[in-house]
Amino acid sequence: MPDRPFIETIDVVKTYKVGSSMVTALDHFSIGIEEGEMVAIMGPSGSGKTSLLNMIGGLDRPDSGAVRVKEVEINRLGEEQRARFRKNNIGFIFQFFNLIPSLTAIENVLVPVMFERETPVKRAGELLERVGLGDRFDHLPGMLSGGERQRVAIARALINDPMLILADEPTGNIDSETAREIVSLFRELNDEGKTLILATHDRIVAGRAKVMIKIRDGRMVRGKAHSRDGMRSLSPDKGGGVPE
Amino acid sequence: MNETDRSFNSATYALSHIRHDLFRSITTVVTISLTIAFILLTTSLLFGLVNEISETDEKASILDGMIPGSVSMFEEFRIDGSQLSKESKASLVNYLLVTSVLVIMVAFFIMFNTMSISVQERRGEIGVLRSVGFSSREVMKIFLTEGGVIGMISFLSALFLGTPFIVNLAAYLIERGDGGIFFVQPMIPLQLVAIIGALTMLLTVFTTYLAAKKTLRVRPVEMLRPTR
Repeated sequence: MPDRPFIETIDVVKTYKVGSSMVTALDHFSIGIEEGEMVAIMGPSGSGKTSLLNMIGGLDRPDSGAVRVKEVEINRLGEEQRARFRKNNIGFIFQFFNLIPSLTAIENVLVPVMFERETPVKRAGELLERVGLGDRFDHLPGMLSGGERQRVAIARALINDPMLILADEPTGNIDSETAREIVSLFRELNDEGKTLILATHDRIVAGRAKVMIKIRDGRMVRGKAHSRDGMRSLSPDKGGGVPE
Repeated sequence: MNETDRSFNSATYALSHIRHDLFRSITTVVTISLTIAFILLTTSLLFGLVNEISETDEKASILDGMIPGSVSMFEEFRIDGSQLSKESKASLVNYLLVTSVLVIMVAFFIMFNTMSISVQERRGEIGVLRSVGFSSREVMKIFLTEGGVIGMISFLSALFLGTPFIVNLAAYLIERGDGGIFFVQPMIPLQLVAIIGALTMLLTVFTTYLAAKKTLRVRPVEMLRPTR
Protein backbone atom coordinates (compact mmCIF):
# COMPACT_ATOMS: atom_id res chain seq x y z
CA MET A 1 0.00 0.00 0.00
CA PRO A 2 1.42 3.39 -0.89
CA ASP A 3 2.06 5.87 1.93
CA ARG A 4 -1.04 7.72 2.87
CA PRO A 5 -0.93 11.45 2.24
CA PHE A 6 -0.87 13.79 5.22
CA ILE A 7 -4.44 14.87 4.55
CA GLU A 8 -6.94 12.99 2.47
CA THR A 9 -10.61 13.09 1.78
CA ILE A 10 -12.07 9.99 0.21
CA ASP A 11 -15.34 10.17 -1.66
CA VAL A 12 -16.72 12.81 0.66
CA VAL A 13 -20.34 13.78 0.22
CA LYS A 14 -21.90 16.65 2.12
CA THR A 15 -25.36 18.02 1.58
CA TYR A 16 -27.13 20.85 3.37
CA LYS A 17 -30.75 21.64 3.64
CA VAL A 18 -31.49 25.13 2.40
CA GLY A 19 -35.15 25.92 2.88
CA SER A 20 -36.98 22.94 1.46
CA SER A 21 -34.29 21.88 -1.01
CA MET A 22 -31.04 20.01 -0.54
CA VAL A 23 -27.78 21.53 -1.75
CA THR A 24 -24.77 19.35 -2.42
CA ALA A 25 -21.72 21.13 -1.05
CA LEU A 26 -19.25 18.29 -1.71
CA ASP A 27 -20.01 15.70 -4.32
CA HIS A 28 -17.88 12.55 -3.96
CA PHE A 29 -14.86 14.70 -3.33
CA SER A 30 -11.45 13.05 -3.02
CA ILE A 31 -8.18 14.82 -2.52
CA GLY A 32 -4.76 14.14 -1.08
CA ILE A 33 -2.50 16.82 0.35
CA GLU A 34 1.07 16.16 1.37
CA GLU A 35 2.73 17.49 4.48
CA GLY A 36 4.38 20.86 3.98
CA GLU A 37 2.28 21.82 1.00
CA MET A 38 0.64 25.18 0.55
CA VAL A 39 -2.62 24.63 -1.26
CA ALA A 40 -5.05 27.22 -2.59
CA ILE A 41 -8.61 26.13 -3.12
CA MET A 42 -10.37 28.35 -5.61
CA GLY A 43 -13.95 28.42 -6.70
CA PRO A 44 -17.02 30.63 -6.78
CA SER A 45 -19.21 31.22 -3.75
CA GLY A 46 -21.10 28.09 -2.82
CA SER A 47 -18.68 25.84 -4.67
CA GLY A 48 -17.84 23.91 -1.52
CA LYS A 49 -14.54 25.54 -0.48
CA THR A 50 -15.61 26.32 3.04
CA SER A 51 -17.29 22.94 3.43
CA LEU A 52 -14.04 21.25 2.42
CA LEU A 53 -12.05 23.25 4.97
CA ASN A 54 -14.65 22.50 7.63
CA MET A 55 -14.38 18.78 6.89
CA ILE A 56 -10.58 18.80 7.04
CA GLY A 57 -10.65 20.87 10.22
CA GLY A 58 -13.22 18.60 11.82
CA LEU A 59 -15.72 21.40 12.29
CA ASP A 60 -18.21 19.41 10.30
CA ARG A 61 -18.72 15.77 9.35
CA PRO A 62 -19.34 14.32 5.90
CA ASP A 63 -22.60 12.54 5.12
CA SER A 64 -20.49 9.77 3.64
CA GLY A 65 -16.85 9.20 2.79
CA ALA A 66 -13.80 9.61 4.98
CA VAL A 67 -11.54 12.45 6.07
CA ARG A 68 -8.07 11.58 7.31
CA VAL A 69 -5.63 14.02 8.80
CA LYS A 70 -2.30 12.74 10.06
CA GLU A 71 -3.64 9.21 9.81
CA VAL A 72 -6.55 10.01 12.10
CA GLU A 73 -9.92 9.37 10.56
CA ILE A 74 -11.47 12.49 12.01
CA ASN A 75 -14.96 11.85 10.67
CA ARG A 76 -15.12 8.94 13.11
CA LEU A 77 -14.25 11.10 16.11
CA GLY A 78 -16.94 12.57 18.33
CA GLU A 79 -17.46 16.31 18.70
CA GLU A 80 -15.27 16.57 21.80
CA GLN A 81 -12.46 14.45 20.36
CA ARG A 82 -12.46 16.56 17.21
CA ALA A 83 -12.23 19.70 19.36
CA ARG A 84 -9.16 18.25 21.06
CA PHE A 85 -7.72 17.26 17.70
CA ARG A 86 -8.19 20.82 16.43
CA LYS A 87 -6.60 22.25 19.53
CA ASN A 88 -3.45 20.18 19.13
CA ASN A 89 -3.10 20.09 15.36
CA ILE A 90 -5.00 22.79 13.53
CA GLY A 91 -5.00 26.57 13.37
CA PHE A 92 -8.07 28.24 11.86
CA ILE A 93 -8.13 31.62 10.15
CA PHE A 94 -11.47 33.06 9.05
CA GLN A 95 -12.62 35.71 6.61
CA PHE A 96 -14.28 37.75 9.34
CA PHE A 97 -11.35 37.23 11.73
CA ASN A 98 -13.62 35.86 14.45
CA LEU A 99 -11.79 37.50 17.30
CA ILE A 100 -13.45 37.84 20.70
CA PRO A 101 -14.46 41.53 20.77
CA SER A 102 -14.11 41.94 24.53
CA LEU A 103 -10.55 40.65 24.70
CA THR A 104 -7.35 42.52 23.88
CA ALA A 105 -5.08 41.41 21.04
CA ILE A 106 -2.80 39.41 23.32
CA GLU A 107 -5.74 37.85 25.19
CA ASN A 108 -7.24 36.80 21.86
CA VAL A 109 -3.99 35.10 20.99
CA LEU A 110 -4.03 33.35 24.36
CA VAL A 111 -7.62 32.10 24.05
CA PRO A 112 -6.77 28.62 22.70
CA VAL A 113 -4.37 28.02 25.60
CA MET A 114 -6.22 29.72 28.43
CA PHE A 115 -6.87 26.45 30.23
CA GLU A 116 -3.25 25.33 30.10
CA ARG A 117 -1.51 25.07 33.43
CA GLU A 118 0.85 27.85 32.46
CA THR A 119 -0.38 30.50 30.04
CA PRO A 120 2.35 31.06 27.42
CA VAL A 121 2.15 34.84 27.60
CA LYS A 122 5.70 35.26 26.37
CA ARG A 123 5.02 33.18 23.28
CA ALA A 124 1.81 35.11 22.55
CA GLY A 125 3.81 38.33 22.72
CA GLU A 126 6.46 36.95 20.39
CA LEU A 127 3.80 35.87 17.90
CA LEU A 128 2.22 39.32 17.94
CA GLU A 129 5.66 40.83 17.39
CA ARG A 130 6.18 38.45 14.55
CA VAL A 131 2.98 39.48 12.77
CA GLY A 132 3.97 43.12 13.24
CA LEU A 133 1.70 44.02 16.15
CA GLY A 134 4.32 44.48 18.85
CA ASP A 135 2.74 47.81 19.81
CA ARG A 136 -0.87 46.61 19.83
CA PHE A 137 -0.91 44.08 22.69
CA ASP A 138 -3.62 45.83 24.66
CA HIS A 139 -5.82 46.99 21.80
CA LEU A 140 -9.31 45.60 21.49
CA PRO A 141 -10.27 44.23 18.06
CA GLY A 142 -12.59 47.22 17.57
CA MET A 143 -9.54 49.51 17.70
CA LEU A 144 -7.65 47.56 15.03
CA SER A 145 -7.86 47.70 11.24
CA GLY A 146 -9.02 44.69 9.24
CA GLY A 147 -5.46 43.73 8.39
CA GLU A 148 -4.37 44.03 12.01
CA ARG A 149 -7.28 41.90 13.16
CA GLN A 150 -6.37 39.23 10.69
CA ARG A 151 -2.80 39.29 12.00
CA VAL A 152 -4.09 38.78 15.52
CA ALA A 153 -6.11 35.85 14.18
CA ILE A 154 -2.98 34.44 12.57
CA ALA A 155 -1.04 34.77 15.82
CA ARG A 156 -3.92 32.99 17.58
CA ALA A 157 -3.83 30.21 15.01
CA LEU A 158 -0.11 29.77 15.70
CA ILE A 159 -0.16 29.75 19.50
CA ASN A 160 -0.39 25.97 19.69
CA ASP A 161 2.23 25.53 16.98
CA PRO A 162 -0.14 23.53 14.75
CA MET A 163 1.11 21.47 11.85
CA LEU A 164 -1.84 22.48 9.70
CA ILE A 165 -3.31 25.92 9.10
CA LEU A 166 -6.69 26.31 7.44
CA ALA A 167 -7.60 29.76 6.18
CA ASP A 168 -11.03 30.52 4.80
CA GLU A 169 -10.92 33.64 2.58
CA PRO A 170 -8.20 35.12 4.79
CA THR A 171 -7.83 38.21 2.61
CA GLY A 172 -11.51 38.61 1.78
CA ASN A 173 -11.97 41.59 4.06
CA ILE A 174 -8.68 43.44 3.83
CA ASP A 175 -7.01 45.76 1.33
CA SER A 176 -4.74 44.33 -1.34
CA GLU A 177 -1.49 45.68 0.14
CA THR A 178 -2.19 44.07 3.51
CA ALA A 179 -3.39 40.95 1.72
CA ARG A 180 0.01 40.66 0.05
CA GLU A 181 1.78 40.97 3.38
CA ILE A 182 -0.45 38.34 4.90
CA VAL A 183 0.16 35.95 2.03
CA SER A 184 3.91 36.52 2.43
CA LEU A 185 3.51 35.56 6.05
CA PHE A 186 1.72 32.38 4.97
CA ARG A 187 4.62 31.61 2.63
CA GLU A 188 7.04 32.10 5.50
CA LEU A 189 5.07 29.71 7.66
CA ASN A 190 4.95 27.23 4.82
CA ASP A 191 8.73 27.53 4.39
CA GLU A 192 9.03 26.63 8.06
CA GLY A 193 7.27 23.39 7.29
CA LYS A 194 3.65 24.12 8.12
CA THR A 195 0.97 22.80 5.83
CA LEU A 196 -1.43 25.52 4.70
CA ILE A 197 -4.75 25.25 2.95
CA LEU A 198 -6.34 28.49 1.83
CA ALA A 199 -9.79 28.88 0.38
CA THR A 200 -9.80 32.04 -1.68
CA HIS A 201 -11.38 34.01 -4.49
CA ASP A 202 -8.24 36.04 -4.95
CA ARG A 203 -6.05 34.99 -7.87
CA ILE A 204 -3.00 36.78 -6.48
CA VAL A 205 -3.33 34.93 -3.20
CA ALA A 206 -3.88 31.63 -4.99
CA GLY A 207 -0.90 32.38 -7.24
CA ARG A 208 1.44 32.38 -4.24
CA ALA A 209 0.38 28.88 -3.26
CA LYS A 210 2.36 25.90 -4.42
CA VAL A 211 -0.67 23.88 -5.40
CA MET A 212 -3.94 25.17 -6.75
CA ILE A 213 -7.20 23.31 -6.73
CA LYS A 214 -10.33 24.61 -8.39
CA ILE A 215 -13.69 23.37 -7.32
CA ARG A 216 -17.17 23.98 -8.61
CA ASP A 217 -20.47 22.54 -7.43
CA GLY A 218 -18.66 20.40 -4.92
CA ARG A 219 -16.42 18.73 -7.48
CA MET A 220 -12.82 19.29 -8.34
CA VAL A 221 -12.44 20.81 -11.78
CA ARG A 222 -8.70 21.26 -11.73
CA GLY A 223 -5.87 20.18 -9.50
CA LYS A 224 -4.51 17.11 -7.90
CA ALA A 225 -7.09 14.52 -7.12
CA HIS A 226 -6.59 11.62 -4.84
CA SER A 227 -8.14 8.19 -5.07
CA ARG A 228 -7.75 4.99 -3.16
CA ASP A 229 -5.09 3.95 -5.66
CA GLY A 230 -2.89 6.93 -4.92
CA MET A 231 -2.26 10.31 -6.50
CA ARG A 232 -3.19 11.22 -10.03
CA SER A 233 -3.33 14.48 -11.86
CA LEU A 234 -6.62 15.77 -13.17
CA SER A 235 -5.08 18.19 -15.57
CA PRO A 236 -1.43 17.39 -16.11
CA ASP A 237 -0.57 20.60 -17.90
CA LYS A 238 -1.69 22.93 -15.11
CA GLY A 239 -2.75 20.77 -12.25
CA GLY A 240 0.51 20.16 -10.47
CA GLY A 241 0.57 23.61 -9.03
CA VAL A 242 1.39 27.14 -9.92
CA PRO A 243 5.09 27.86 -9.99
CA GLU A 244 6.22 31.17 -8.62
CA MET B 1 2.84 46.60 31.14
CA ASN B 2 5.28 43.79 31.49
CA GLU B 3 3.94 40.88 29.54
CA THR B 4 5.03 38.35 32.13
CA ASP B 5 2.74 40.07 34.67
CA ARG B 6 -0.35 39.16 32.69
CA SER B 7 -2.67 36.44 33.72
CA PHE B 8 -5.50 35.20 31.59
CA ASN B 9 -8.13 32.76 32.74
CA SER B 10 -11.89 32.27 32.72
CA ALA B 11 -12.38 34.99 35.37
CA THR B 12 -10.43 37.52 33.26
CA TYR B 13 -12.47 36.44 30.28
CA ALA B 14 -15.78 36.85 32.13
CA LEU B 15 -14.87 40.25 33.57
CA SER B 16 -13.67 41.49 30.18
CA HIS B 17 -16.98 40.54 28.65
CA ILE B 18 -19.03 42.12 31.44
CA ARG B 19 -17.04 45.34 31.09
CA HIS B 20 -17.11 45.34 27.30
CA ASP B 21 -20.83 44.76 26.97
CA LEU B 22 -21.63 47.06 29.87
CA PHE B 23 -25.16 48.03 28.88
CA ARG B 24 -26.16 44.39 28.48
CA SER B 25 -24.46 43.48 31.74
CA ILE B 26 -26.25 46.27 33.60
CA THR B 27 -29.67 45.30 32.26
CA THR B 28 -28.98 41.68 33.21
CA VAL B 29 -27.85 42.69 36.70
CA VAL B 30 -30.87 44.99 37.17
CA THR B 31 -33.29 42.28 36.02
CA ILE B 32 -31.79 39.68 38.33
CA SER B 33 -31.47 42.17 41.20
CA LEU B 34 -35.15 43.02 40.96
CA THR B 35 -36.17 39.39 41.09
CA ILE B 36 -33.85 38.85 44.06
CA ALA B 37 -35.28 41.93 45.76
CA PHE B 38 -38.76 40.45 45.42
CA ILE B 39 -37.59 37.18 46.92
CA LEU B 40 -35.97 39.16 49.72
CA LEU B 41 -39.20 41.11 50.23
CA THR B 42 -41.51 38.14 50.65
CA THR B 43 -39.06 36.06 52.65
CA SER B 44 -38.15 38.93 54.96
CA LEU B 45 -41.84 39.39 55.75
CA LEU B 46 -42.10 35.68 56.33
CA PHE B 47 -39.14 35.80 58.70
CA GLY B 48 -40.57 38.79 60.48
CA LEU B 49 -43.87 37.06 61.04
CA VAL B 50 -42.46 33.73 62.08
CA ASN B 51 -40.07 35.34 64.53
CA GLU B 52 -42.92 36.29 66.85
CA ILE B 53 -44.59 39.51 66.03
CA SER B 54 -45.01 40.43 69.66
CA GLU B 55 -41.30 41.10 69.88
CA THR B 56 -41.47 43.61 67.07
CA ASP B 57 -40.49 46.53 69.25
CA GLU B 58 -37.26 44.97 70.41
CA LYS B 59 -36.31 43.78 66.95
CA ALA B 60 -37.37 46.98 65.33
CA SER B 61 -35.11 49.00 67.59
CA ILE B 62 -32.16 46.82 66.60
CA LEU B 63 -33.11 47.27 62.95
CA ASP B 64 -33.57 50.98 63.48
CA GLY B 65 -30.05 51.09 64.84
CA MET B 66 -28.77 49.59 61.61
CA ILE B 67 -30.92 51.64 59.25
CA PRO B 68 -31.97 54.86 60.94
CA GLY B 69 -35.54 55.92 60.41
CA SER B 70 -36.58 52.56 59.09
CA VAL B 71 -39.18 51.84 61.71
CA SER B 72 -40.17 55.15 63.22
CA MET B 73 -42.44 56.08 60.34
CA PHE B 74 -44.69 53.15 61.15
CA GLU B 75 -44.57 53.71 64.90
CA GLU B 76 -48.14 54.88 65.23
CA PHE B 77 -49.51 51.79 63.50
CA ARG B 78 -47.71 49.22 65.60
CA ILE B 79 -49.89 46.92 67.61
CA ASP B 80 -48.85 44.00 69.72
CA GLY B 81 -48.84 40.94 67.48
CA SER B 82 -50.24 38.77 70.23
CA GLN B 83 -53.58 40.43 69.60
CA LEU B 84 -53.79 38.62 66.29
CA SER B 85 -55.57 35.28 66.41
CA LYS B 86 -53.60 32.07 65.88
CA GLU B 87 -55.60 31.32 62.73
CA SER B 88 -54.84 34.72 61.27
CA LYS B 89 -51.13 34.26 61.93
CA ALA B 90 -51.11 30.80 60.39
CA SER B 91 -52.94 31.92 57.29
CA LEU B 92 -50.60 34.88 56.96
CA VAL B 93 -47.56 32.60 57.21
CA ASN B 94 -49.06 30.28 54.58
CA TYR B 95 -49.85 33.20 52.33
CA LEU B 96 -46.30 34.52 52.52
CA LEU B 97 -44.85 31.04 52.08
CA VAL B 98 -46.82 30.47 48.88
CA THR B 99 -45.94 33.95 47.64
CA SER B 100 -42.24 33.30 48.32
CA VAL B 101 -42.30 30.04 46.40
CA LEU B 102 -44.12 31.69 43.49
CA VAL B 103 -41.67 34.58 43.46
CA ILE B 104 -38.73 32.13 43.41
CA MET B 105 -40.32 30.29 40.49
CA VAL B 106 -40.89 33.52 38.59
CA ALA B 107 -37.27 34.48 39.33
CA PHE B 108 -36.10 31.18 37.89
CA PHE B 109 -37.93 31.74 34.61
CA ILE B 110 -36.88 35.37 34.34
CA MET B 111 -33.24 34.41 34.94
CA PHE B 112 -33.44 31.53 32.50
CA ASN B 113 -34.79 33.85 29.81
CA THR B 114 -32.21 36.51 30.55
CA MET B 115 -29.33 34.01 30.50
CA SER B 116 -30.68 32.28 27.38
CA ILE B 117 -30.76 35.55 25.48
CA SER B 118 -27.23 36.51 26.50
CA VAL B 119 -25.85 33.05 25.66
CA GLN B 120 -27.78 32.97 22.39
CA GLU B 121 -26.35 36.34 21.40
CA ARG B 122 -22.89 34.83 21.77
CA ARG B 123 -23.37 31.79 19.58
CA GLY B 124 -20.70 33.06 17.19
CA GLU B 125 -18.27 33.44 20.07
CA ILE B 126 -18.99 29.90 21.24
CA GLY B 127 -18.39 28.74 17.66
CA VAL B 128 -14.99 30.46 17.68
CA LEU B 129 -14.07 28.88 21.02
CA ARG B 130 -15.10 25.47 19.69
CA SER B 131 -13.13 26.02 16.49
CA VAL B 132 -9.94 26.79 18.39
CA GLY B 133 -10.39 23.53 20.25
CA PHE B 134 -12.37 24.28 23.41
CA SER B 135 -14.26 21.32 24.81
CA SER B 136 -17.91 21.87 25.78
CA ARG B 137 -16.75 21.71 29.35
CA GLU B 138 -14.28 24.55 28.86
CA VAL B 139 -16.89 26.71 27.12
CA MET B 140 -19.26 25.91 29.97
CA LYS B 141 -16.63 26.92 32.52
CA ILE B 142 -16.37 30.38 30.95
CA PHE B 143 -20.12 30.89 30.92
CA LEU B 144 -20.63 29.57 34.44
CA THR B 145 -17.90 31.86 35.74
CA GLU B 146 -19.63 34.76 34.07
CA GLY B 147 -23.06 33.67 35.36
CA GLY B 148 -21.57 33.41 38.85
CA VAL B 149 -20.06 36.90 38.69
CA ILE B 150 -23.35 38.36 37.39
CA GLY B 151 -25.22 36.50 40.14
CA MET B 152 -22.87 37.81 42.83
CA ILE B 153 -23.14 41.44 41.66
CA SER B 154 -26.92 41.11 41.36
CA PHE B 155 -27.22 39.65 44.85
CA LEU B 156 -25.07 42.36 46.44
CA SER B 157 -26.95 45.14 44.67
CA ALA B 158 -30.31 43.64 45.62
CA LEU B 159 -29.14 43.35 49.22
CA PHE B 160 -27.60 46.78 49.64
CA LEU B 161 -29.93 48.78 47.44
CA GLY B 162 -33.08 46.78 48.11
CA THR B 163 -32.89 46.35 51.90
CA PRO B 164 -33.58 49.99 52.86
CA PHE B 165 -36.65 50.00 50.63
CA ILE B 166 -37.87 46.73 51.98
CA VAL B 167 -37.53 47.59 55.64
CA ASN B 168 -38.91 51.09 55.15
CA LEU B 169 -41.65 50.64 52.65
CA ALA B 170 -42.57 47.00 52.72
CA ALA B 171 -44.06 46.95 56.16
CA TYR B 172 -46.98 44.69 55.98
CA LEU B 173 -50.18 46.29 57.06
CA ILE B 174 -53.16 44.15 57.67
CA GLU B 175 -56.54 45.23 58.79
CA ARG B 176 -57.85 43.35 61.72
CA GLY B 177 -61.43 42.41 62.05
CA ASP B 178 -62.00 45.13 64.64
CA GLY B 179 -60.57 47.82 62.39
CA GLY B 180 -57.12 47.95 63.99
CA ILE B 181 -53.95 47.62 61.96
CA PHE B 182 -51.50 44.83 62.44
CA PHE B 183 -47.89 45.53 61.62
CA VAL B 184 -45.29 43.01 60.44
CA GLN B 185 -41.75 44.23 60.55
CA PRO B 186 -39.74 42.61 57.73
CA MET B 187 -36.61 40.95 59.07
CA ILE B 188 -33.42 40.35 57.19
CA PRO B 189 -31.27 38.31 59.55
CA LEU B 190 -27.88 36.99 58.48
CA GLN B 191 -29.22 33.49 57.92
CA LEU B 192 -31.75 34.86 55.41
CA VAL B 193 -28.97 36.80 53.67
CA ALA B 194 -26.97 33.55 53.45
CA ILE B 195 -29.96 31.60 52.13
CA ILE B 196 -30.85 34.21 49.49
CA GLY B 197 -27.18 34.53 48.51
CA ALA B 198 -26.86 30.78 48.01
CA LEU B 199 -30.20 30.71 46.17
CA THR B 200 -29.11 33.51 43.82
CA MET B 201 -25.85 31.76 43.00
CA LEU B 202 -27.66 28.48 42.49
CA LEU B 203 -30.30 30.05 40.23
CA THR B 204 -27.89 32.10 38.10
CA VAL B 205 -25.38 29.30 37.68
CA PHE B 206 -28.07 26.69 37.01
CA THR B 207 -29.98 28.85 34.51
CA THR B 208 -26.69 29.73 32.77
CA TYR B 209 -25.86 26.03 32.65
CA LEU B 210 -29.23 25.20 31.07
CA ALA B 211 -28.93 28.01 28.52
CA ALA B 212 -25.32 27.18 27.58
CA LYS B 213 -26.04 23.46 27.38
CA LYS B 214 -28.83 24.10 24.92
CA THR B 215 -26.56 26.24 22.72
CA LEU B 216 -23.64 23.81 22.96
CA ARG B 217 -25.76 21.15 21.27
CA VAL B 218 -25.51 23.15 18.04
CA ARG B 219 -22.64 22.05 15.79
CA PRO B 220 -19.70 24.50 15.77
CA VAL B 221 -20.04 25.04 12.03
CA GLU B 222 -23.64 26.20 12.50
CA MET B 223 -22.61 28.61 15.24
CA LEU B 224 -19.95 30.15 13.03
CA ARG B 225 -22.39 31.03 10.27
CA PRO B 226 -22.72 34.80 10.25
CA THR B 227 -26.46 34.91 9.60
CA ARG B 228 -29.17 32.53 10.51
